[in-house]
Amino acid sequence: MTATVTTPGPRRARVISKKAVLPWLFLAPGLLLALVFKFLPMGKGVWLSFFDVRPFLGDRWVGFDNYTRVLTDHRFQDVVGHTLVLGIGMSLGGIAAGFLLALLLEGQARSLKIIRTAVFLPVVTATAVVGEMWRLMYYPTSDGLINSGLGLFGLGPVPYLDNPDTALWATTAMGIWMLAPYNMVIILAGLAGVDRSLYEAAAMDGVSLWQRLRHITLPAIRPALGIVLTLAAIRGLRVFTEVYVLTGGGPAGSTDVWMTRAYTLGFSRNDIGGASAASVLLLCVTLLLTVTVNYFRKRGDVR
Amino acid sequence: MRDRRRCIDVRLRRGHRLAAALAVSGLLFGTAACGSGSGSARAGDPNTLEVWTRSDPESAQTYQRVFTAFTKKTGIKIDYQPVMNFDQQLQSRASTKDLPDVMINDTALMGSYQAQGLLKPIDPASIAGHGEITAKSWSSTVGRDGRHYGIPYSRQAMTLFVRKDWREKLGLPQPKTWQDTLALAKAFATRDPDGDGKKDTYGMVVPGSAQNGYIAWWGASWLWQGGVRIIEKDGTGYRPAMGSEAALRTVTWMKDNLFCGDNGVIQPSALTSVTANTTNFQDGNAGMYLTGPYNISTFDKALGKDTYEVLPAPAGPAGNDVLADGENIYFGARTGKAQQEQTLAAFLISPEGQTLAMTGDHQPVVRIPVNSTLDAAKVRGDARWSVVQKAYEDDSLQFPNAPDWAPMKQDTADSLNALFTYCGSDVKAGLKELNDTLAGDLKDQDLLK
Repeated sequence: MTATVTTPGPRRARVISKKAVLPWLFLAPGLLLALVFKFLPMGKGVWLSFFDVRPFLGDRWVGFDNYTRVLTDHRFQDVVGHTLVLGIGMSLGGIAAGFLLALLLEGQARSLKIIRTAVFLPVVTATAVVGEMWRLMYYPTSDGLINSGLGLFGLGPVPYLDNPDTALWATTAMGIWMLAPYNMVIILAGLAGVDRSLYEAAAMDGVSLWQRLRHITLPAIRPALGIVLTLAAIRGLRVFTEVYVLTGGGPAGSTDVWMTRAYTLGFSRNDIGGASAASVLLLCVTLLLTVTVNYFRKRGDVR
Repeated sequence: MRDRRRCIDVRLRRGHRLAAALAVSGLLFGTAACGSGSGSARAGDPNTLEVWTRSDPESAQTYQRVFTAFTKKTGIKIDYQPVMNFDQQLQSRASTKDLPDVMINDTALMGSYQAQGLLKPIDPASIAGHGEITAKSWSSTVGRDGRHYGIPYSRQAMTLFVRKDWREKLGLPQPKTWQDTLALAKAFATRDPDGDGKKDTYGMVVPGSAQNGYIAWWGASWLWQGGVRIIEKDGTGYRPAMGSEAALRTVTWMKDNLFCGDNGVIQPSALTSVTANTTNFQDGNAGMYLTGPYNISTFDKALGKDTYEVLPAPAGPAGNDVLADGENIYFGARTGKAQQEQTLAAFLISPEGQTLAMTGDHQPVVRIPVNSTLDAAKVRGDARWSVVQKAYEDDSLQFPNAPDWAPMKQDTADSLNALFTYCGSDVKAGLKELNDTLAGDLKDQDLLK
């Protein structure tokens, strides 16, 4: 003991330098890329949100003007509402649908593997392609796929994307379709870890299906649900491509969301400062949401 | 240079998929990391000009042909970049203060570019052959300070494309007024012009989304024909003009007859459609389309030359003016290659350069030549182009080019899209709100009178 105390300095320093530096060396390329492509642009975005941006005439410092302008713009207030409806709807819908799919498709049979692969396809398809496909499916006459289906029951046709009352819900439905399979995979992994003997014991006790879900399955997959929820909190509010391709924010701005508004500000109105302010606000809200979800997840884990 | 473009592309893809909150700023400033020096080997060469055009691969081939001829003639090399999402990528480059030497893009963007300081002023007299461009074309390149900031390159005006075979089958005349157009549209929608026994045709195609201001672009011709101006010049400034009686009358007419009238006058989903997905005319299920002549080659391929006709836009209560549009040649600010740039511009507006850009196997990039010694119909051997040329010369009006038009176009589009979406909406109140917003836009630019 004393020997180690007498010669701590150089030995510990050597140990730290070897053991601690190696992982950083391995991480360096990734960190460098992240720094250059993520954190520097992010920092520049924050910086520009305080300026009236005019690259060739010199940026003008405007303090919090861009933020005030964005926050007091009634169109921006509308889009916050739309973003919440869409973000929460897509996230919760995606989790519920993913859970249902996972329960239906859990198992080892080969046929299930094929179906699982088929169900997973929306995740690997480009969002722009999915948007175009759903535009065709939602086509507001009886030629549209969904409306021709409704026609078999003597219903419709429904103008899903053309009616401002339904457009946001129609966009949410497409989002759920895209998100659910991803959640399904994570929940399936969680389900694989459930102790089978619990189900057998439950079956012997004659419990109902709902009780089995409530008391065995859900507690067992809580870590998986925690991951899915965290991802939803990060992704939920930054929806862009789905809306941009499907409706472009219309009709009458009824599907305009945070990111499409920021995009319009930046690229249609050339208001880069305003667009940066809107983006920074979204970053803050997303961070807050992620930290909150993580806090509750960890508190739940401890309990 | 290719590296830089790939870099931008990667940024864009990452922007959509990954960069949660900062996609916009990421898109803009990520390219800073890609480095302005990636193309520097050639960018530094005084005998190479970097040229950007807003083009798809099809029209890029025509541009390439023009530039090859230019290099052969002058020895000045062209580093040519066709860019699809031009404005986004230009903003990226602007943020690095490294602009292309020469850009060819829409006329209506000039005020916006000038307001940002992206353009070099131009003295028309420094461009050889400047006298062959008409005063009307030159006048559209004057900026707020009275100096020229662009050189006219191509012009166009909207015309009405009509399914001739359908019209003749139903025994109806060519439309000359709004009422004729409406009657024809209703007939196309209800009288089964394609004869398949199904009610699957529509009267007219409308790209009516507010995205990128589309409905303001398409609707401008109707506004002009109703005697409406979006903003009006007033001394050295401007004032908004959407609160006028003419605006109320015209927008109400459009709403009642086109968007909220009988089913089938316009195609379904018009109010969320942009031109890229407004394909009903070439798909053969809509009978009319008021649009630019760049569609002629597409329609010829899809429908056949003889199935449709190109007509002057029918007249409204105040005449038959249509939206004129086109492209200008712009010189990027702070590049030191003035002489080479002027040589290129002189070639592009010369009869040789314009003819090359109007012909060939690919999409032509000059629609109506700005060079007054040329006749579009003769160069192409196609009489339909004289309809477009006449519409541009006699009955056309451009968007105001001196102010930063982008925010005003977007606000007009947002407002029109909302008025046409809610059929029960109060047009007068909606237009008053738009007028106030336009006043705000002008005030932001210190142009409000």
